This record gives sequence, structure tokens and C-alpha cells, in this order.
Amino acid sequence: MSEAYFRVESGALGPEENFLSLDDILMSHEKLPVRTETAMPRLGAFFLERSAGAETDNAVPQGSKLELPLWLAKGLFDNKRRILSVELPKIYQEGWRTVFSADANVVDLHKMGPHFYGFGSQLLHFDSPENADISQSLLQTFIGRFRRIMDSSQNAYNEDTSALVARLDEMERGLFQTGQKGLNDFQCWEKGQASQITASNLVQNYKKRKFTDMED
Amino acid sequence: GDLGPFNPGLPVEVPLWLAINLKQRQKCRLLPPEWMDVEKLEKMRDHERKEETFTPMPSPYYMELTKLLLNHASDNIPKADEIRTLVKDMWDTRIAKLRVSADSFVRQQEAHAKLDNLTLMEINTSGTFLTQALNHMYKLRTNLQPSESTQSQDF
Repeated sequence: MSEAYFRVESGALGPEENFLSLDDILMSHEKLPVRTETAMPRLGAFFLERSAGAETDNAVPQGSKLELPLWLAKGLFDNKRRILSVELPKIYQEGWRTVFSADANVVDLHKMGPHFYGFGSQLLHFDSPENADISQSLLQTFIGRFRRIMDSSQNAYNEDTSALVARLDEMERGLFQTGQKGLNDFQCWEKGQASQITASNLVQNYKKRKFTDMED
Repeated sequence: GDLGPFNPGLPVEVPLWLAINLKQRQKCRLLPPEWMDVEKLEKMRDHERKEETFTPMPSPYYMELTKLLLNHASDNIPKADEIRTLVKDMWDTRIAKLRVSADSFVRQQEAHAKLDNLTLMEINTSGTFLTQALNHMYKLRTNLQPSESTQSQDF
């Protein structure tokens, strides 16, 4: 047991996100363009430029466009679509999907939204007619980029990898780290460090109190 | 089990750990295993390079044996440096083949792959990365099936 903290992993790629996962919380905070289907009373205080004015109780009128974080949009979305209707962000739409199918390696996925795969998978909950295409495009993009991630993570030992990971999104960075860890462990073994005993990193931080401090 | 008797000057078979220990105490001289010979390794390396699949290795632990023997007993092994280079070449070739095979596995989204003649060391080096990537792919793939509607609250 060399680690002091066990992280809850992200469930965002699968059917539902994990409540306790930090990655999912960060991912869920990204904004989604949304259109209101009914008027929302008193929310105009938050969205001042959209509100209908103080007379109508500061309501956000029907049909206005807002940007809400994913967790809020998911909570308000209902199959009968009484409250919100969701528009897909540009990168999940037709135009960008053809870019990805042409060459997935060229795109800077970190700039497009650092949680491309997770966010895209959660978008599928909103029952858009393009769902099948979106999920297919996510899968194919991943497959296209897999080779480069594998090669770069397994060959860069003890180098500065910031140039390599700059264009990867968060999930791909996790994969990259796993690859690097495998490489580091192998090199460690090769050097013979596996059979040396080293102090655990939990204990290294305990500084010994000086005797003079204890005398007071 | 029982070992010995140890008569000076006569070759005896012992487990590797004992051999290394005796060597460190300077009580014995190690004889290299039969496959650890420059010509044989060269032939194996060229064979490995020609074949597209993995060729059988002289021992399922060839990496570990090479490392231990060359680190502790290189004076007993003729041409130790060349052997080290040859074994490293073989390792690199095999790892490269493993990567190519992983890449084509992912690209064609196959469900099942069979790799013969892989040693544990190679599996462990690339294994974690591959299983994690395949996990992600599996999750992305199951998104393709329309999910049953989760329970939603009615007002």
C-alpha cells in the first residue's frame, strides 16, 4: 500500500457519472447551450440580460437561450421536454464530426473542452436524434488517437512530457499516465531499485522534533 | 529439496537464488545456461525479426535471468556485453510487435486476441495500459446501444 489516497474513478464514460468522483464533478461543470421552453420565474436575477423585467417577477421568458452547466441541465431535463431543450455544442455536431473522421490526431482535444469524451457520453442522455452518430464519432476518435497515445507514453522516459499531453483531453491524459507509470516501473526494475527498501512517502514527511523543542 | 554434495571443481545444479548467493559470497563460479551463447542468441534474434508473430523464447524468464546473471556473474559469462545487447534487441522487437498487435486490435475492435509465446515480463510492462484503454473503449461502445430510460420524476 504505497498510496495514501484512493481516488474514485470517473464514471462519465459509462451510463452514469459517479457522484464522488472529482473528475466527474469538474466535467459536469462545463456549460451547455440550452433553450428554455417555459418561463422561469425569478431567475432573471441571475441572468440580467435575459430577464423580462421587474414587473413580471424577474422571469426568464420562454424561448430564451442560456448557458447552463451540465449538472443543472441534466437535472432540469425531462423526457416530456417541458422545461428545457438542449442544443448540442459545436464540437459534437456534424461539421466537427467529419473533421474527426478525417484525421483524429490533428485536433487539439484539450482546447475543445478538456472533458471531450466524458461530456459527450453524458450528452447522450438528452435524447437528441443525432445520438447514434455522436457515440460512433466518440468511439472512432478514440480509436484513431489510441496509437499515438500509446507510442508517446511508452517511449518518453524522464523527459518533459508537457508538449505531448498538451493536445489530449482529460481521459486520454489518465491513459498517458498509466502508460508512463508502466514504463517507469520497468526502468525501476531494470536498475535494480525494486529490491531496495525505501522509506514510504507517508513517513518521509514526519520531521523529527528537535530535543530542544520538547524541553519547553 | 536436497542439494549437493558440493565437491570443489565439479559442476552441480542449484536453484538460481542459491547460486547468486554463493557467488556473492565468492564461493562459486556460475556457468551460463545453454541458450546464453552469442551465436544462438543471434539466430534467435534474427528469427524474431523475420516472423510477424512471437517466437518461442529460450526460457519464460529470459529477461530476469539475463539481468541477474549479467549483474552478478558477468565475469563467468563470455561476451557478456554482446549478450546484453542481443537480449535487449530481442526485447525491443517483441515489445514493438506487441504494440502493433494492440493497435490493430483496437482499430478493428475485435473481441478476442490470442498471443502465443509471450513472457510474463512483457505482459506486465504493457498490460495495464492496454486493459485501461480497452475498458474505456468498452464503455464508449456500450453507449451505442440505446439505454433503457432511467427513472425520471414526474411533477
